[in-house]
Amino acid sequence: MPDKVTFEDPSGEGPPITLDTFKVGTGISDHKLRRKKIPAPDPYYLDMGMLYRFAQVEKVRRENPKDEVVLHLAVRGHMGTGKDHDIEQFASLMRLPYYRIPLTGEVRDITLLGSVKLHGDGMGGTESRWEDGDITRALRGPALVNLSELNAAGAETLFALHGLMDRYQAIDLPTGEHIQLRDDVRLFGTMNPTDLRDYAGTQNLNKAFADRWVIWEKSFPDGDQVIAMLVTRYPTLEPEYVDALSRLATEVNESFLASDSGSRVETPMSLRTVLDRMPAGLRMFTASQDPLRRAWETMVLPHVDAYDVDHYETVWNACVRKGPKIAPYNG
Amino acid sequence: MAQSNTSILSEILAPEERAIESVVGRYQRVAGAVARFARSLTGREDLRVVLGAGSKSSDNEIVIDPGLFQSAYGRRAPVTPEETALASALHEVVHLVSTDLEERRPLPIEWLPKDAEPPGDQELMLLEALDQAGGLPAEALFFALEDARQELQGLIVYPGARSVLADLYRAAIPEAAANTGALSQFALAAFLLTGGYIEREILEKRLDSRAAGALSDATPFIEAAAAATDPWDVAGLALQLLVVARMHNLVASASAQESVQHKKLREEAEQEAIAEGVDRIRLHSPIVQDSESYDETRKASEARAAETGRQAEAEVGANEGTDQILRVSQSPTIYLPSGQGGKLLVARIPTSFRTFAPEGRAAIRQASKKWKVDSRHIAGELHPLFIANQRRGLRSGYDAGDLSPHAALLLGAGLYERMFERRASSTRRSYAVSVLVDASASMLQPRRLAGPSDRQPWGLAAAILGAWTLAAMCDQLQVSFEVSLFNRSFAAQIDDNEWSYGKRKNSATAELRQSQGSAADRLTSTVNHYLLSTFDEPWRRCQDVMAGLFWAAASPAEATKAARREARQTPPVSMFEKAANVDEFNITYAAQRLAASRAEVRVLVVLADGMTRGSVDSLAGAVEVVEQSGTTVLGIGIGDDTVEATYGRSKVVARPDELTEAMVDGVRMSLRRGLAMFGHDTWWMRSGRDRQNQSWTRKTKETRNA
Repeated sequence: MPDKVTFEDPSGEGPPITLDTFKVGTGISDHKLRRKKIPAPDPYYLDMGMLYRFAQVEKVRRENPKDEVVLHLAVRGHMGTGKDHDIEQFASLMRLPYYRIPLTGEVRDITLLGSVKLHGDGMGGTESRWEDGDITRALRGPALVNLSELNAAGAETLFALHGLMDRYQAIDLPTGEHIQLRDDVRLFGTMNPTDLRDYAGTQNLNKAFADRWVIWEKSFPDGDQVIAMLVTRYPTLEPEYVDALSRLATEVNESFLASDSGSRVETPMSLRTVLDRMPAGLRMFTASQDPLRRAWETMVLPHVDAYDVDHYETVWNACVRKGPKIAPYNG
Repeated sequence: MAQSNTSILSEILAPEERAIESVVGRYQRVAGAVARFARSLTGREDLRVVLGAGSKSSDNEIVIDPGLFQSAYGRRAPVTPEETALASALHEVVHLVSTDLEERRPLPIEWLPKDAEPPGDQELMLLEALDQAGGLPAEALFFALEDARQELQGLIVYPGARSVLADLYRAAIPEAAANTGALSQFALAAFLLTGGYIEREILEKRLDSRAAGALSDATPFIEAAAAATDPWDVAGLALQLLVVARMHNLVASASAQESVQHKKLREEAEQEAIAEGVDRIRLHSPIVQDSESYDETRKASEARAAETGRQAEAEVGANEGTDQILRVSQSPTIYLPSGQGGKLLVARIPTSFRTFAPEGRAAIRQASKKWKVDSRHIAGELHPLFIANQRRGLRSGYDAGDLSPHAALLLGAGLYERMFERRASSTRRSYAVSVLVDASASMLQPRRLAGPSDRQPWGLAAAILGAWTLAAMCDQLQVSFEVSLFNRSFAAQIDDNEWSYGKRKNSATAELRQSQGSAADRLTSTVNHYLLSTFDEPWRRCQDVMAGLFWAAASPAEATKAARREARQTPPVSMFEKAANVDEFNITYAAQRLAASRAEVRVLVVLADGMTRGSVDSLAGAVEVVEQSGTTVLGIGIGDDTVEATYGRSKVVARPDELTEAMVDGVRMSLRRGLAMFGHDTWWMRSGRDRQNQSWTRKTKETRNA
């Protein structure tokens, strides 16, 4: 009997969705490796709705197999919004081996599909052998493939994936081998928005390639969501600190999203900063007079472009000015 | 920021840091964030926040008067200048976006005394209704409560900014409590408690016993005002406070025997007492000050809304004073070795001088002949030496046979554009010359030439001809070159003509006199540094402007006549005012630009015809520091020997040919000296240098001191 996993709608609107998880059978040659690649669940992860939406798509696919609708999901959002984390946690809950393949400008079709390589026999002789590329390797068994930075890849790299993504649902290797998309493989992607922000190497997604994806936007979490994440992850963090961190992150990210360059900052306060670095900074500076200020100076300002420092400091002055007088953690 | 609890604003800020241009400069650092906060507060993504004369707001724009921020910097409060910049601006934004008392309603019956006749159905605006129900004291109390309520609710998402206001207000309490009567104290307490700026128990200890007693009874109404969401509710609560004040004899009760005149005088006095108490605490914001200021702000807002929809030109014209403050605040501050500092307004020379270019070129040809200036001769002498030196600075194989074996690769990589490319990298440019010309009106005045009756305005013309000659020479020798003019007047802008310059100047002066009083002169008569040609642009690009400028300088009467005839088509010839320069700021700035050019040999030529507005010692000190940094400074005095007391290398000239000769020879000498310093020290160079040196007065610090 397969295990089951239930996805709740955090907005409370939709009914819970219960799905059977995937199984990595022993019939697959690299089943041991694949089992190791199933991500561990993040005990502090909070679904802000994205996992529920993934589950909705999964449910539709399973309930309507005859539709043969190909649904590949891409999440678009600014840095630090937690796109990859969402996908990784979906893989974890669905018990799927997780293959994250970053598509940088340097990645070529042979990197993804594979190539013929020379192998020495140890006695002076060589022979040429086919060696699977990253995506081919993943497709040979159950997998959730996350093609991250979709819009950083070159056009020829994307063309190599077209067949896999449309109704053909397969790739043909130069060796003549035909790799069909398995029923237990899911393709996901992530990308940063292409605008004037400094995401080096990104470009507008090729229209033909973009048409093969369902693209969803992921925005920065709002103040209440940041508070919920912090409280879940750091239950002993004093509410004054939680509130101040949430306020700072929300205001900075609002400035990041501002439409005119005069009132915009170029660096957002990512979830990594809010959920990892700042709480660590608060622990480091627990004994100082103003732990929040010290953590801000040590963990946030060094990430900020020089011309944005005034704006960050103005946000600090407006939202906090002086950190709480109590110790950050009560336990 | 970490020290903000220990440093007191008025103690850490020098008086000049409280000047309007410094205040605006500080605001500019927070302006981006303030605009974004304003958009969040209003929910209007297209909202602009700009500085202007007089606060006002329309649907898509908030205009803040920077003069309002200034008073906050004089407070003795534990806040930093940056915190004050933010809080004062955000404070004004909150009031401008929150205050709307235009809605009409019937006068609420509960506002009237029990024995009064019921009001009619006529709908009134809030302030009209309040005036009928409680008169002037009620209105003053309403504005105190409404001001605090808006701050409490508007800044709820910005507790840091609110805490700055709290510190500013709390710091003002002792002085306010010590110098005001019971009614004033009651009003200021109502303001502070509504805004949540202080605990009642702490505040009561500082108050007069009658005010403290009234405050106790008023607490429920104050708490209700803090939570109110409708200004009409706040007005009702203000009337309740007035009843409490009357109960405690803080205000007099109306009597049947009181004459209309007496009642009016009494109410005015009570209104004044209430406003006085609150004004000693709060930051001034006209829209919540009193009904008169509210009406003025609303009218200005409506006019602004119509204006912005109509024409852009009116928008600019209405803000010349503020634009001028902005220009001054954004200009660099120059610090002298003496520790003094000041603003230097740096701008490009107006390009409209091109209009006079044809006449200017002809005049330059004539003057070159007359004053015997020949750039080709001088460049011809130095050219072989410079080519030998510059060869090392060339990229790729420009010189025949000197082709790098990697040229093809570099070509392929896009680093070279052509196989045989002449490109000198900036770091290899070893020579830079900067000419700084006094452009005050005195340089345009007729001077004696051959005889007493032969007087012509040759000062500025000869200086520009010298600069022209040097520019041509430096261009041939591939020496980086820059020409700047300096004066003290209302600063012209790059796109100015005579008409726009005059219009801007008059509007800005009038506006600033009104808003800044005696500080207006400082803001309009600025120390200006006009860049005519810069190191990084080709000489040919600025030839027309320089030629036009030469004609304006050589024929000032004709130029002025042309400007009078067709002001919109002629350059701003009236920009040359007769005002004493501050030479040392300009020299320091020009030297900084020279140093930034990274040239090894740097020559700065300064032409002036009189005293600096600063001290001779200060100028001499500035020159000496520049010399110590490795830049050769040549001071040329036009009929004035101040240069001998201030410049290590100086020359006084009395004729135009002497001036151009002194400029060109001085630079030639310095360049040859530079060549010698970098490995070209030959016998003929040494003799040339010695000969040249003899013609320049050399003064050292010791001789000057002696």
